[in-house]
Amino acid sequence: MVSLAAGLPLLDRPARVTIADPDLELAERFRAGERAAFDAIVRRHQKGMWRLVRRYVKRDADAADVTQLAFVRAFRGLATFRGTASVRSWLYRIAINCALSWLRDHRREQPSELAEDALTDDNPAPAQLSAGDDRAWLRKAIEQLPPKQKLVLELRVFDDLSFKEVAELAECSENTAKVNFHYAVKRLRDILGADHAP
Amino acid sequence: MRRDAAGSDELDTAYVDGVAELSLDERRGVEARLAREPDARAEHAAVRTLLGRLRALPPEGREPDWTAMERSIRDAVGDAVPRPWWRRWTWLAPIATLATAAAILFVVWPRPALRVTPHPTVAQPTAPAAPEDSVGAVALWLDGAQVDVEPDAAAALIALDPADDEPDEVALLPASDLAWVDNLDDDAIARAERWLARKKKG
Repeated sequence: MVSLAAGLPLLDRPARVTIADPDLELAERFRAGERAAFDAIVRRHQKGMWRLVRRYVKRDADAADVTQLAFVRAFRGLATFRGTASVRSWLYRIAINCALSWLRDHRREQPSELAEDALTDDNPAPAQLSAGDDRAWLRKAIEQLPPKQKLVLELRVFDDLSFKEVAELAECSENTAKVNFHYAVKRLRDILGADHAP
Repeated sequence: MRRDAAGSDELDTAYVDGVAELSLDERRGVEARLAREPDARAEHAAVRTLLGRLRALPPEGREPDWTAMERSIRDAVGDAVPRPWWRRWTWLAPIATLATAAAILFVVWPRPALRVTPHPTVAQPTAPAAPEDSVGAVALWLDGAQVDVEPDAAAALIALDPADDEPDEVALLPASDLAWVDNLDDDAIARAERWLARKKKG
């Protein structure tokens, strides 16, 4: 298959073009002036972006606003996208930055989804929890992970990113991403108490 | 040893969650370990169960209307595809203005005269010392030949003024009594004439 970048000036070519990645093909078409290619990118990634943002921003409407803002920034920056990372991890990085920025600006407005005493010693053991409680228990356990381990675990489990993409987003090596993932799982098992798992 | 064990644990977790992302050697290592260690197999099963529970968690919040979100994003960004800065024409005007101004300044600006940088000085070999016997000898030109004389003698010779034979002004006789003129011989008259000629020149 012929590279779409073949006819473009040298400066405009991404560092790596893998036609197997449909996102890169869409990005190339957008850079060549095809506006509709961006709409296709939005359709492919808006759900994942929203879910990612929603883990930071606790209100649905705010998460939608932040997701939209992230796409606007991506639209402006896609022309200079170098292709050194995958389009998805590039978009997710923008989304995380937008979410963190939004959190800084709205620190006091964030609601707490779980009650403060949700996981105190007085609460029932996980084996006795209902399905809804179990979900809350799992989410609360994830919240207790160190930030880097939490980020790696969530990107891997909830966003289905490869270790390579996780490493790009967490700004570390692929091996470090694997190590963080291992320790996140290990710690999560410690928190949840493997013996009490339902 | 502990590091190796920790490394294999990490590979175990990565193996459970993404066997395709391990290299062939890593995969073989983990599988060999699983084959010989029942504990490792139990660990794998526990990790797989936990990851399954995590993946079964429903997404947080209520998903928005995706079509509406797509439309609002399209409205927010507009229709024009942004171009990278180096492909826009807007930056050309200020750059061209600056380049022109710089060229004018280069032509108009007074520059200092061209200075020739001196060549680096090369150390000249020093003259060989004069022979011992010539120290103190002074070369004089006497009667068409060079003659080395002792410094004292040379000083005495140099001190001899060739004009010493000429009369001093104070030695002149008074003009009121001119009878002596008749007693002058030819040499004296010649000397007097030479002296007068020199006076006129001087």
